[in-house]
Amino acid sequence: MSWAEFRQACLVRFWTPLPAVIAAGVLSALYFGLTGTFWAVTGEFTRWGGELLQVFGLHPETWGYFRIIGLEGTPLTRVDGVMVLGMFAGSLASALWASNVKLRLPRRKRRIVQALVGGAIAGFGARLAMGCNLAAFFTGIPQFSLHAWFFALSTLVGSYFGTRVALLPALRADVKLVRAPASGASAALRAAPAHWQFRVGVLVFCVAVAAALGLASSAMKLGLAALFGLAFGILIERAQICFTSAFRDMWITGRTTMARAIVLGMAASAIGIFSYVQLGVAPKILWAGPNAIIGGVLFGFGIVVAGGCETGWMYRSMEGQVHYWFVGIGNIAGATVLAALWDRIGPPLATSWPKVNLLETFGPLGGLALTYAGLALGFALLLWWEKAFVARRSRAPAYAESKEALR
Amino acid sequence: MTDAHKQPDFLLDMSGEPCPYPVVAMLEAMQALEGGQVLEVLADCPQSINSIPGDAQRAGYRVLKVEQQGPSIRYWIER
Repeated sequence: MSWAEFRQACLVRFWTPLPAVIAAGVLSALYFGLTGTFWAVTGEFTRWGGELLQVFGLHPETWGYFRIIGLEGTPLTRVDGVMVLGMFAGSLASALWASNVKLRLPRRKRRIVQALVGGAIAGFGARLAMGCNLAAFFTGIPQFSLHAWFFALSTLVGSYFGTRVALLPALRADVKLVRAPASGASAALRAAPAHWQFRVGVLVFCVAVAAALGLASSAMKLGLAALFGLAFGILIERAQICFTSAFRDMWITGRTTMARAIVLGMAASAIGIFSYVQLGVAPKILWAGPNAIIGGVLFGFGIVVAGGCETGWMYRSMEGQVHYWFVGIGNIAGATVLAALWDRIGPPLATSWPKVNLLETFGPLGGLALTYAGLALGFALLLWWEKAFVARRSRAPAYAESKEALR
Repeated sequence: MTDAHKQPDFLLDMSGEPCPYPVVAMLEAMQALEGGQVLEVLADCPQSINSIPGDAQRAGYRVLKVEQQGPSIRYWIER
């Protein structure tokens, strides 16, 4: 394979989601083994909110929530912090490789409101459940924590209602058909892609790797976390891994490709986590209380309204999608509000409930078997849903109402 | 997936719209076409690469072309 072919096939063309999600699952298990924590981003976003409040003279470090998740150090001295920075760098580098960075301005002002409100609801819900799709779902289920199952199922419910809102006529895009230009190629595509972007992307990547290695020489865990973040960022951008679409597409078009990929990614991760736990690493188990259920519903609703979850806005903001800058701002704001309210709502909704570790409740093998049984059942249901959805639509076209919309 | 003989009849420009709106609009727009007509969808939501071709096929349309050029992706879909 020549360099030009390699570049086109691996650095420009988008990757197929399934292998990328499985790679993310394997990496997140290794990340857990090396750092003792799970691949998670919202906790760090909440700390950013807290640090911003400190700048304004407030003392969020006295809040119960920050006593749980910690507010010491800076983003550069925290494992989560350097991992998140690595993710941003990885997403930016990989978007640049494909000349895929462009300031994409929202077409309508209402999208900004949608992004802020959806992002805030998602951020609030995620932190109520002690983590977003990553901590409480993608890496939570392989951690054998019961709360992750509560969160996954309630996110599904919330995403249904989110879809209803996102597809309201007021929020739909205008469908304006025009006669195609005779030349075939539309103006936007006749413009050559920006080749300088590739070089900048290589530079960003090299600087990020060098910084991570430099960090590793003084603090190994931090350096490794930064490198893992870089890899996670590249994976999610190159393959456009989108947890929001995994939930949302089920309701809109019945497509479950992304959802099934995520289930397989969790299956790949679970056995890795299991082996580390057997070797004595403590799994991250969180309260299986109403907080996981309420948080999940709010999170599922919010991500679909916003159009992206916590990881989704990270790579999309790097691609220049302005919409997602606002989702990010909403996210951090929502998470910070939750932290402020935690002392009042935390005890009844979360901390007074048990932390259920499936590996303890059902024994190591029982917990492992139950987790894989749950994942297999989920995979089968997704397959069935997609088939049933397509069959139902062929009987009654779901887009019949759109004929009027075209006029 | 290139069909050299076909040229698009209509253009649907979804630049600037975030997902899922490009795919939803594509499915709506296809209803207005007659059999054999081709729609060109222009999108700059990168995630549409995972939704538009698959959903078009699942709805019974033919995907003639998927072309990625920098931040823009164009899809040719035949009813």
